Amino acid sequence: MSINIIFFIIRRVANALITLLLLIVLVFVIIHLIAPSPLALARLYTGPHATTSELETVAKEYGLDQPLYVQIVNYILNVLHGNLGLDPFYKVPVTTLIGKYLPRTLELVIPATILSVVIGLVTGAIAASNRNKPTDYFVRGVYLVTWASPPFFVATVLQLVVAYYLGLLPPTGTVNPLLPVPKDITPFPILNAMFTGDWSYFWSLVHHMVLPTISIALVSFGIVTRIARASMLDYMDSDFARLSLMKGLSRRKVVYGVVLRNASIPIVTLVALLFGYSVAGAVVIEDVYDYHGMGYFITQAIENLDYTSVLGTTIVVGISIIIANLVADILYGILDPRVRVVE
Amino acid sequence: MSESQGLRFMLKAIRRDKGGLVGLVIVIAFLLWSLIQGTLEVLAGYLKRPSLGYMLLPHNPFALNFQYSLLPPSPQFPFGTNANGEDILSRILYAMPRDAFVAIVVVLSAIAIGAVLGIISGYFGGIVDEAIMRITDAFLSLPALILVIAITLPLKATYLGAILGLMVVWWPTYARFFRAQTLKVKNMDFISAAMLGNVSHVKLFYSYIFLNSIDPIIAYATLDFGNVILTYSTLAFLGIGISPPIPELGEMAANGLSGLPQAWWWSVFPGMAILMIVVGFVLLGDRLQDIVAGRITY
Repeated sequence: MSINIIFFIIRRVANALITLLLLIVLVFVIIHLIAPSPLALARLYTGPHATTSELETVAKEYGLDQPLYVQIVNYILNVLHGNLGLDPFYKVPVTTLIGKYLPRTLELVIPATILSVVIGLVTGAIAASNRNKPTDYFVRGVYLVTWASPPFFVATVLQLVVAYYLGLLPPTGTVNPLLPVPKDITPFPILNAMFTGDWSYFWSLVHHMVLPTISIALVSFGIVTRIARASMLDYMDSDFARLSLMKGLSRRKVVYGVVLRNASIPIVTLVALLFGYSVAGAVVIEDVYDYHGMGYFITQAIENLDYTSVLGTTIVVGISIIIANLVADILYGILDPRVRVVE
Repeated sequence: MSESQGLRFMLKAIRRDKGGLVGLVIVIAFLLWSLIQGTLEVLAGYLKRPSLGYMLLPHNPFALNFQYSLLPPSPQFPFGTNANGEDILSRILYAMPRDAFVAIVVVLSAIAIGAVLGIISGYFGGIVDEAIMRITDAFLSLPALILVIAITLPLKATYLGAILGLMVVWWPTYARFFRAQTLKVKNMDFISAAMLGNVSHVKLFYSYIFLNSIDPIIAYATLDFGNVILTYSTLAFLGIGISPPIPELGEMAANGLSGLPQAWWWSVFPGMAILMIVVGFVLLGDRLQDIVAGRITY
C-alpha cells in the first residue's frame, strides 16, 4: 500500500472521529437546551409519585443539576467508555437494550441493502439499455412511485396483500412466540438458531423477516436505479463502449460486461447512503409489522419521553452510519485513485 | 435572459413534457387547495365559527356517526369512513394545508440558513469553512428522520415542535450547495469588479452570489418539498408533530392499521394521498432540474 493511500485513510478516519464528536455534542446540546427542568428529567427515573426532595436526590445522583457543559463532558466520557446511561424505565443500561434490539434491525437492513443494490443495478441496466422505450418508462415509473411513497405505505400495502389477502406470510411479529428461544451464542437470533441447529426457530424468523426486508428494499432501491441508469447512459455514450461495439462485441456483452462494471463504481458510495436510508426506513416499517427491533425501541422511547434512550439510539445509529460512510469513502478512494488526488 | 423570459421558457419546456405537466398540475392543485382550505380554517378559528372550516368539504371531518362506522368507499363516502364514522376524504382534504405549511416553512428556512452558512463558508474559507463544514457533516451523518425524532421529543412532539425540529436539521444540503456555488463564482471577474467597486459584503453575497445560484436551488427545492412532506408524514405516523384531534395524513394511516384486514381504505387512502402529492413535486422538480442543467433546450 502506498504512503498516499495511508495518508488518505488517516485523514478520513480523523474526519469521521471529529464528525462523530460533533454529532454527540450537537444532539446532546439541542436536546438539553429544550428539555424540561432537571427535576422533570429526574421524575422519569422516579415515576410520577415522588416528592420534591426525592426528585432532588435523584437529580443529584444522575448529575442532572449540573451545568450543561459539565453534563456534556461527562456524557462524552461515558460514551467513550461505552456507557450510554441508564434507561429510566427498565433500569438497565441503554447499551444492553440496544445490544438486544440493534442486531434484529441489522438482520433486516443488511439483506435489504444488498437486495436494493441488486434490484437497482438490474433495473437501472434494463432501463438504460432500453432508453426512451416503454420498458425504460415503466422502470422509471415504478421507482418514482416507490421512492415517493412513505415507507409505512409500502409496508401497509404489502402486508395487506401478501399477509392478509394471500395469507402467504405472517402479518406481524418477530418470531412465533410459542417456540422456545435458542441459546444466546451471538447477539443475532438468526445465527443463534443456525448454530444450535434449531431450524423451526430459524424458519419462523425468516418468515417474519421477509416482508419487512422487502419493504425496506422497495423504498430504497430507486436511488440505485436512478444512479445506475444515469451512469450507464454516460458510459454507453463513451468512446470505449462504441469501440467495443465496433470491434464486434455483442450489445448484450457491452452493456452487462463493460458498461455495468464501470458504472457500478459510484454505487459503492451509494451503499453507505442506502444503509442510512434503510435504518431510518426500518424504524417505521418495524412499526407496521410490529417487529421488535430498533424501530420498536425508538417508538417505545418516544411514547415514554425517554431522553436517555433516544439520545443513545441516535448516537448508535450515527456511529453505524459514520462507519459505513468511512468504509465506502476508503473503498472508493482505493477503486478510483482520482479521488485521493482531489483531496 | 430576463426573469419573465426565464419563467416563460420554463413553462414552455414543462408543457412539452407529460411527466412535468402532471407534476405541475398536482403541485398547483395541492398548493391552491391548501391555501384556500387553510385560509378558511384560520378564519373559522378567528371568528369562532368552526363550520366555516368545513364549508368546502363533502362532510364535517369531525362528525362522529357510529352508525356509519367503517363503511367501504361509496358515492356518499368516496374514500370510506373510519371507526368513528368520520369521512376519510374530508379528513384528508382538511389535513392538507398543514403539510403544505410545513413544507414551505422548512424549505424556505433551509434555503435561508444554508445560504448564509454556505456563502460565508465558501467565501472566507480557512478555519471558518472547516468549522461550518464539520458541523454540516455531523448533521448529514444521520438520516433526517432519526435526528428530527431526537430533537422534537423534548419539544413535546407537537406540530410546532416538528416544524422547528425539521428546520434545525434540513439546512445542511443547502449549505453544501451554496458553498460549492460560491467557490465556483468566487474568482470570476464580476466578483473582483464588484470588490474593486467597494460593494459591501452583504450586497456582494446577496446580489452576486445568492441571486446567481437561485435557479438550480429552485429546481432542487421543488424536489425537496416532497422530501419534507414524506418526512413529516412519517413523523406523524409515529405520533410526533400532530395536534389531536386535528387529522394528519400520516397519523390517519397509522390509526388505520388497527383495522387493516377488514377496512383497508382507512389506512390506504391517506397513504395514497401523500404518495400523490410527493410524486407531483418529484416529477416537477426533476423536470426543472433538467431544464436548469441545460439538458433541455428549445
